[in-house]
Amino acid sequence: MNIETIIESLVALFINRPFIEMLIKVLIFPGLMFPLLFVVFAVWFERKLMAKIHLRIGPLHVGPGPLGGIFQLIADALKLLQKEIIVPYNAHKILYNILPLAMPMISLAAMAFIPVAPFPSVGPVDYLVVFYTPYSILVVLALFAIHPFLVIGVGWASGSKYTTMGALRAAYQLLAYEVPVMLSAACVVMVTGSFDLIKIVESQANIWYILLLPIAFLVFFVSMMAELGRRPFDIPHAEQEIVYGWATEFTGVHYVCVMFAEYVNLCVASCLVTLLFLGGWLGPVLPPAAWFLIKFGIVVVFFLMGRGVYPRLRIDQLLNAGWRILIPLALIQIFIILVLAKFAPWILPVTFLGG
Amino acid sequence: MSIMRVRWGPQHPVSGQWAFWLDVDGDIVVNMEPDIGYTHRGIEKVAENRTYIQNVPVVERTSVFDAGNIVFGYVQAVEELMGIEIPERAKYIRTIVGEMSRIVSHLYGLCLLAIAVGFETMLMWFINDRELFLDLFEMLTGARITYSFFIPGGVLHDLPQGFYDEAMRRLDYFERRLKDYWKMFFLNRTFITRTRGVGVLKREDAIRLGVVGPNLRASGVEADVRKDEPYAAYDQIDFIIPTEKEGDAYARGGVRFHELEQSVSIIRQALQKIPDGKIRVKVPITPTPPKGEAYSRVETARGEIGYYIISDGSNRPYRVKISAPSFRNLLAMPFLSRNVPMADIPTIYLSLDLIPLDVDR
Repeated sequence: MNIETIIESLVALFINRPFIEMLIKVLIFPGLMFPLLFVVFAVWFERKLMAKIHLRIGPLHVGPGPLGGIFQLIADALKLLQKEIIVPYNAHKILYNILPLAMPMISLAAMAFIPVAPFPSVGPVDYLVVFYTPYSILVVLALFAIHPFLVIGVGWASGSKYTTMGALRAAYQLLAYEVPVMLSAACVVMVTGSFDLIKIVESQANIWYILLLPIAFLVFFVSMMAELGRRPFDIPHAEQEIVYGWATEFTGVHYVCVMFAEYVNLCVASCLVTLLFLGGWLGPVLPPAAWFLIKFGIVVVFFLMGRGVYPRLRIDQLLNAGWRILIPLALIQIFIILVLAKFAPWILPVTFLGG
Repeated sequence: MSIMRVRWGPQHPVSGQWAFWLDVDGDIVVNMEPDIGYTHRGIEKVAENRTYIQNVPVVERTSVFDAGNIVFGYVQAVEELMGIEIPERAKYIRTIVGEMSRIVSHLYGLCLLAIAVGFETMLMWFINDRELFLDLFEMLTGARITYSFFIPGGVLHDLPQGFYDEAMRRLDYFERRLKDYWKMFFLNRTFITRTRGVGVLKREDAIRLGVVGPNLRASGVEADVRKDEPYAAYDQIDFIIPTEKEGDAYARGGVRFHELEQSVSIIRQALQKIPDGKIRVKVPITPTPPKGEAYSRVETARGEIGYYIISDGSNRPYRVKISAPSFRNLLAMPFLSRNVPMADIPTIYLSLDLIPLDVDR
């Protein structure tokens, strides 16, 4: 075996269409690069949006012209990476170091199941999706559901009173939003008859589910906001009450990981709302990926807006809202779907329950 | 059930320069003890070693958020000791500065209430409008926060040229904004949910605990030194004392908000009625009042402040005793913080508008 055959076989291994396609999917569009750029842009945009709402100017300096402040996050991250990692005396050393690093990994893993646009591909489906499975919505929601357990673990492992309180609040909050998320996602699954995100989008060709299932959209959006811990529901952080909740003790690289995971979660949640209720990449004239990004951006703005217009709720008020309002609303939506399926099945995209 | 003892401050984001010991059972606070003294500067002792004029900036440091009204009481006590009557114009200028100081302080207090429930927009908008009056202070006194404008015998400067027009323009703008604020913040459903029924201080408890100022008025007691014992020009000005019945955090915020509207009206009337004349009577640079004692009280933004000054006939006071409003309101804090959720502690604390500077002195 000479060197030429080795090079040839290496070329054959790497320079081929499936491999390059996979590389693009994993590293660039739905994969790593997209959430990374999203985090940089979302943090900057959030600061600018909040400044506009607050009647301030907002960040101006680190960046060119009207994009002032856009590199601030990168500068901050580089600074934080150089910081000393302080492990509290009472902390569980191993868990304290591992769990925050696991957070962005699990958040990014959810991105692998999100289809973003049709794309002639050599893979199992002709779509831009890293890993295709017919049960993608289940997988994404399951990966989402792991996050609160990491939070509880982190809060306990930090060995501080404020982190413990933050973790307990995260556990309570989990009870409030997890059931409505599942029920409202179930509405979409019932109407489509599939767990596949691609099929869910394709079935919205005639009517988006935001119009067909408005109550489910409302419930899903609100409980996703609670899942992300955005402003009316940022109870586990609650700076004014418990310093920074479960993330109080983190410094340096741990803090970077925790914040990164939060914004990647925002990215995944916005993708989910776009795919489930806003018809994903469907739309006239513009290319599908552009439609996806436009809808995605609008959803992100609404997620970010909560911080400007609402104060924070108390944990008992959130639990009340979750169990007394969101769950009954989701059940009403399911009932409406069943009534429609019985008496007006032509409205629904697929026939089920025996027609 | 085990009870966890949490130290809430002084390194906590909103605790201010003091600490609370909280006994927490799950998420419920069963007991609370304030731990004060972090900002004790011994102002009362310092005041014994300085002349009466030198003491003006010293007592101002009791609470710089409300610099006008804090000094008001001190200079009135010194004037009472020396037996001097200040000119009418000085009284009106003092009233204007006192009310502007009240507005600035109440805006700050409402900001703190917004912080407590995590309402950033309300915080920023109120802080923004504080600038309107800080600029007026700069125009009138040359300083924005600590202006030491009142001296025994009158005030330092006359109203500058163009002050009337500028002040009226800003008051008009501010009044328009206040209407929006009521709709946007005080009628916000989430804000109401977070503050209604939180930290309810009943009328009899408020009187028993000796609470003063807007906190007392929010519990339904119509007590205000400006009406009860009118000083400066308040007896010639028409205003009402806003009160609320509920005594919760929302009512305390509401009383502050309505006092903003009243203060605007008071400044307008004072600017229109202000007579011509001198702005101060001649007082020596180191006044030496005769032997005796004087007590003076005024209504600051946080409530009634009392100054008790004893003179031994020298050019320094023998004793200056300050009865500060936040210290008196502090007693309500442990009373209200029993068996409430942890999340309501900042709301109770900041709705009482307590500031550690004022408590410790």
